[in-house]
Amino acid sequence: MPANSDPPANGPEPPLSRARERGSGGEGSLADEVALIVALPDGIALHARPAADLVRAASKLQTPVTVSANGKRANARSILEVLALGAVAGTELTLSASGPGAAEAVQTLAEVFASLGS
Amino acid sequence: MNTSPDLAQVGLVLVSHSRRLVEGLAELVGQVAGPGVAIQTIGGAVDGSLGTDPDRVLEALQAAAHEPGAVVLMDLGSSVLAVNAALEDLADEQRAWLAVVDAPLVEGAVAAGVLASTGASLAEVAQAAEEARDARKL
Repeated sequence: MPANSDPPANGPEPPLSRARERGSGGEGSLADEVALIVALPDGIALHARPAADLVRAASKLQTPVTVSANGKRANARSILEVLALGAVAGTELTLSASGPGAAEAVQTLAEVFASLGS
Repeated sequence: MNTSPDLAQVGLVLVSHSRRLVEGLAELVGQVAGPGVAIQTIGGAVDGSLGTDPDRVLEALQAAAHEPGAVVLMDLGSSVLAVNAALEDLADEQRAWLAVVDAPLVEGAVAAGVLASTGASLAEVAQAAEEARDARKL
């Protein structure tokens, strides 16, 4: 099993309202996509400041991560694309990445989402 | 937490016909980029009316032309002319620290500010601003 099958472990219960893996089930080929579904915490919309926090975290990762919501896709490193998702509180977003480090990358950004409300 | 501009982060120079426009934009960019990104604003004519002040543009570019560099964004027309004229008065080694970007002012400044706050290089920050030209908002 890839390392990202564990739920985020900071807190007595998973900070994400729903987090699950949607890997392609392959045997670790580079093309494998790892995806996590996260929801924006109550009271948090992906306005400029939270979006900037996400983009800064994504910019530190080696692996590009895509954020999808509302039928749109955004490069997690692009503040303008992330803002254009129009995500409001409760919106479900899918974080996805492929290749080496994909699992760690989506997990890292899932934890950023979880911390937006704190 | 930084309380003043961090010389390790690329800065921004925002040039507009309107002082209030660039000051408001600097406030917005500061919110998303944090206090570590130095933002210079040049807006309005000498008498405070709408317009451009080539001398202040030149002073701002001279002040920004140092490591690790600054991205320069303009609103329209004579702001662009003033920046181009000022560049001609700078030495080559000063110009090397400035990236004048052809991008929408608000989107370019936000994109550049956020990337600058990660410690990205001048070329990377300039590219982020350039990409704002093609970013859809709907």
